Amino acid sequence: MDIRITTVGDPDYPRVLSLYPGMPEKLYYLGNLPDPEKRSAAIVGARACSAYGRDQARGFAADLARNGVQIISGMALGIDSHAHEGCLSAGGKTFAVLGNGVDICYPRTNRSLYRRILESGGGILSEFPPGTEAAPYHFPLRNRIISALSDLVLIVEARAKSGSLITAQYALEQGKDIFAVPGRLNDPLSAGCLSLIRKGAGAALSPSQLLQELGFSADEKGEPAAPPSTSDLTPTARKILHYLSSDPKTLEEIVTASRLPLGEVFKGLLELELKSFTRQSVPGLYVRTYG
Amino acid sequence: MFCSITSTAISGVDALPVYVEADVSEGLPMFNIIGAVSTRTREAADRVKTALRNLKIVLPPKRITINLSPGDVRKEGTRYDLPIAAAVLAALDRIPKESLEGTLVLGELHLDGRIEQVPGILPSILTARDLGLKTALVPAANYAEAKAAQALDVVGLASLQDLIDYCSDGRRPENLPAGDAPLSEEEDAEDFSDIRGQESVKRACLIAAAGFHNLLLSGPPGSGKSMAARRLPGILPALTKEERLEVSRIYSVAGLLTAAHPVIQKRPFRAPHHLLSPQALVGGGRSPVPGEITLSHRGVLFLDELPEMPGRNLEFLRQPLEDRFIQISRIGRSVIFPCNFLLVAAMNPCPCGYYPDLNRCTCTERDIRNYTARISQPILDRIDLRTEVPALDYDALHAGGQDKITSAMLKTQVEKAFACQKERYLDMPIAFNSELSARDIPRFCPLSAEAGRLLEAAYTAMALSARGYHRILRIARTIADLDGDDLIRESHISEAVHFRQHS
Ligand SMILES: [Zn+2]
Repeated sequence: MDIRITTVGDPDYPRVLSLYPGMPEKLYYLGNLPDPEKRSAAIVGARACSAYGRDQARGFAADLARNGVQIISGMALGIDSHAHEGCLSAGGKTFAVLGNGVDICYPRTNRSLYRRILESGGGILSEFPPGTEAAPYHFPLRNRIISALSDLVLIVEARAKSGSLITAQYALEQGKDIFAVPGRLNDPLSAGCLSLIRKGAGAALSPSQLLQELGFSADEKGEPAAPPSTSDLTPTARKILHYLSSDPKTLEEIVTASRLPLGEVFKGLLELELKSFTRQSVPGLYVRTYG
Repeated sequence: MFCSITSTAISGVDALPVYVEADVSEGLPMFNIIGAVSTRTREAADRVKTALRNLKIVLPPKRITINLSPGDVRKEGTRYDLPIAAAVLAALDRIPKESLEGTLVLGELHLDGRIEQVPGILPSILTARDLGLKTALVPAANYAEAKAAQALDVVGLASLQDLIDYCSDGRRPENLPAGDAPLSEEEDAEDFSDIRGQESVKRACLIAAAGFHNLLLSGPPGSGKSMAARRLPGILPALTKEERLEVSRIYSVAGLLTAAHPVIQKRPFRAPHHLLSPQALVGGGRSPVPGEITLSHRGVLFLDELPEMPGRNLEFLRQPLEDRFIQISRIGRSVIFPCNFLLVAAMNPCPCGYYPDLNRCTCTERDIRNYTARISQPILDRIDLRTEVPALDYDALHAGGQDKITSAMLKTQVEKAFACQKERYLDMPIAFNSELSARDIPRFCPLSAEAGRLLEAAYTAMALSARGYHRILRIARTIADLDGDDLIRESHISEAVHFRQHS
């Protein structure tokens, strides 16, 4: 795949970038640039995230993507990657802005994600020329582009004084709407989000709330639509799905809650897993996947 | 003046005949022990001399030579004190030589003449019987164990004076703890019905027992992982007579048989601490003794906090798990101990222990993933089953009463599955579904058409490895056996997929 370059003034140079000071003259990219006709949301957060953070990032990304929202993030480990993954799982387009050349997959463990972002019609973007290695001071810089490309910035998990808060700072300067996913008071991974909320950022309570912020009307897109194909599920599987959520559930809890015989639960769970309605967050613990 | 007494050396779980010869001749006064003896065995000279002196028996100023033959068997420990003393007394004509003909003699001496118990009595008695001996003189503390072998006329001796009395006029010490206790089928004090709820955990234990599949229990502290593990031996079929003897031999050479339990009746349950030494785990020592893996033979080895176990220890477990025996090599020789145990490993779900309780768990997803990865892959490869053990809620813990699922019910099902496997593997070198190799799986795991399709779908959708694929089939084979089904069906596959150990 060829690396393409767009320069200020070119027809494909993102118009939205020219609105803000300090944007790069040139952008290198693989695949596509975000579609300016569509809404975009940035979802960023901690690298070492919790299971809660992972599920929220995936859940928000998937639901937004299902409504045609493009998801922008930085392809870092943790929340960034989960946001891209959530979007891909819902068949959406997602764009990664890197702190290194677009020809380098960093972190290297994200090679599969890197490939799938491109295969699914999204793009990999960078202001740094091909061959540029990642450097710590690159990351705050690329955050200003992530924010600028988006209509809204969602922080899922962030420690106090973390890179995600730098993104929020740029978003503030660029006049973007900032949302943070609330977490537990004593959880260091939520300290950054909670302090943002205290300073006036929106508390992100559901994907539908963000959709409204992005201009989708409430009745048009109400509560996050259930994955379209639940109608194909057997009644047992549908019943079990009802008891699954982003909270990991043990087999015991599912059996107790559903009052189904053990054998039925095994069948239902396997069906749900094969049809991607659930996954095991760790072996034996089932969480609902939203996508 | 020459005399020879029959005794034994222990090698692995077997006893080899050792002949203790005493020769008293003119020469410089000395007391020499020769014949491939360890330092500790050589010290018998001092113990025997002192014990005799305390009985007012003074050795004449002559040259006393003790030879332990055959020379290619290494003699270790203190078990030869008593036969050496007996040989010396006979050579000096203090006791009649004929009194020790056809007799096995074993025991350690204290300086005051008391006789201390020694390990390996059971195999020694069996070897003596094979040699055609009729009588065994053993320490009083080993009397019950020796009697339980039901092979020889056993005399238990509490002191050196008892030996002299027996040899001189046939007097036997009385009121020794009897070993004749009937081999009663002791009731298991611990029953699965003590655990309320936890149906899925009981189901996993049932499958593990039925196919002898190693099992990994994951759950927060206090969730009852060890409670479940402890009850597993009780749902395995009772040991056969041969198996009881085989396990008792192990406990005999480990010196763990007592007057109260002179024979191992029940399947062992061992739960060593995860920081125990490699030698205590797999066995060893200058005179190799069985480790925990061998003490668990035909029973359950429970390793709690598996991710916290030092990698070195885990490494030592790898080969025994594969071979079901362990070979311990020491200078010039090696011994083999059996170790066909069911491994039940337990772990917290994450470093802090509280996942999936997101209100308490402070771990990142990476912490959680890395936690299982601390267990070395070759060990995980040998573990077919995994189940979550959910935290017991307060009500379930304190409601009291008994659960409807009892150990007796589970045992009946396991016996049925054992019977299926016995028939199936009649002409195979394996006994259990857990031992099925990739090569044998197609032959022994026929699938219904629907089951085949489901497994295929799972294989593709879950990106299973070949190992994961075979693991599902082994577990499904056992589940089908529990159903008395020769064909593996859809329901067996879906259950196996859930309970499979993922890594
Ligand atoms: Zn934790």
